[in-house]
Amino acid sequence: MELEKPDLYRLSEDGRTLVLRGGRCASCKELSFPLTRYGCPKCGAEPDQVSEEMMDGRAQLLTFLTIHTKLIPGMTPPVVVGEAEIAPGMIEEIMLDGTEERYSDGMMLQAVPVEITKGEATMIACRFAPAEG
Amino acid sequence: MVTLKEARPVYVIGVGMHKYQFVSDTLYIDMGLTAVRAALKDAGIAFPEVESAYIGCTGIGMAAGRIMFNHLGSTGLACTQVENASASGSSAFQMAVHEVALGRRDVSIAVGVDKYGDQVRAVSKEAVNRLSDTAAIPLVKYAIMAEYLSKEKGLTGEDLALVASKNHTNASKNPFAQFQKPRSVEQVLAANTVAGTTTSLMCCPRGEGAAAAIVCSEEAIRRLGITAEPIRVTASALQSEKPQQGREIPSVTLAQEVTEMVYQEAGITAADLDCVELHDAFAIEEILYTETFGLAPKGEGQHFLRAGGSAIGGQCCVNSSGGLIGQGHPLGPTGIGQIHEIVNQLRGRNGERQQPDAKIGMAHMIGLGSIAIAHILQKEV
Ligand SMILES: [Zn+2]
Repeated sequence: MELEKPDLYRLSEDGRTLVLRGGRCASCKELSFPLTRYGCPKCGAEPDQVSEEMMDGRAQLLTFLTIHTKLIPGMTPPVVVGEAEIAPGMIEEIMLDGTEERYSDGMMLQAVPVEITKGEATMIACRFAPAEG
Repeated sequence: MVTLKEARPVYVIGVGMHKYQFVSDTLYIDMGLTAVRAALKDAGIAFPEVESAYIGCTGIGMAAGRIMFNHLGSTGLACTQVENASASGSSAFQMAVHEVALGRRDVSIAVGVDKYGDQVRAVSKEAVNRLSDTAAIPLVKYAIMAEYLSKEKGLTGEDLALVASKNHTNASKNPFAQFQKPRSVEQVLAANTVAGTTTSLMCCPRGEGAAAAIVCSEEAIRRLGITAEPIRVTASALQSEKPQQGREIPSVTLAQEVTEMVYQEAGITAADLDCVELHDAFAIEEILYTETFGLAPKGEGQHFLRAGGSAIGGQCCVNSSGGLIGQGHPLGPTGIGQIHEIVNQLRGRNGERQQPDAKIGMAHMIGLGSIAIAHILQKEV
């Protein structure tokens, strides 16, 4: 099945989790996410200086809430989103699987593949869920 | 850097508005001309005296300003359209101010005029996906911040509702405001929940409208025999955001940076401010900015609000126009509508919404991206 945003993540080897596609800059040594075609967003180095570095998809949940209103086309509320630290000092907005009762601030999360439908197509999207163990 | 205090003094001599309103069939040219003519009348000058124009506009299309001026007489004035998202009008005003300060022009007009357009954002053409589908929606960022602060600092939904209630109530006394009904805290809380504790009445509406401000030099005031009370622009600053540090939203950190720049340029502190118009696209922003501006200690914005510090008649009235939440946020005009409100405050002609003895005011906007911009206006005493 097709990935919804293949530029951001890949299925892990066992297919149960997702790994995130970061970039490591040879010039400033910094990790950035996501890996883009444009180069290093930290120091501005050319794209050939940035190489792909897979991130394990583990994240610490900082804050979350439920969106109750359809804010963008194709969205079916309620949707739970939050901010999580996906690498040390790297805070990203993420989408959480299921309802907010499953979550609490500070808990560890794991990026997981979740089937979604977009128009006619079924795809694998990245959602975060409570990490096992 | 040359400051506006060292450069040739620049004064606002006329302001005008067309009411902000919900999307309608009103032609943009009718709205724009209404605001421009009102500003000319306020200044007591004729259109041919205006040497240059900066038009803040996001949703109408190319050359909106020059087409509008066809209907005022093609005087040959320099004409530049300015797009800086929500801060388009503020940036147009800054460019007019700088041009007069530099001595290249004596009289310049900043006009903001907008219709609710297709809202295309360049971020959608960046070809970079984000993990969250709502990552580019400011509302979600601010609602998450409100959620964080509710646990961290005890900020409540009622605090957010108090901001919205104050601003809707101020707007109900402003004939140019999009919303005309006073709203109680209970009504704001009972409105549709959008995200977390944020309800629809805590968010600015979509709309359209126009606002204009004419700036000029001392020389022009003498030469044109202007009798309208001039209000001096003593500081102007714009910066864009840096990477997020800790939990603070970059636009909030940035708002602090630009206000520190304008305080320094004008030689004032937060304690000198009598009235502020700030970017309250969402109620949480007003609480955060009153802190970053130094009106309230960090983490105590809600106490400043509850104590009436930001009410008309309080320490420094905030968004006496109704702000983006109450007066409205038609994008192009918004920043110039703020100048309209502050000039009226400093001239002491703001009617029911008059801040007693107002002498110094600040206008602040955020533009998508994000950028922050601030201006200080002062009554000459
Ligand atoms: Zn780099």
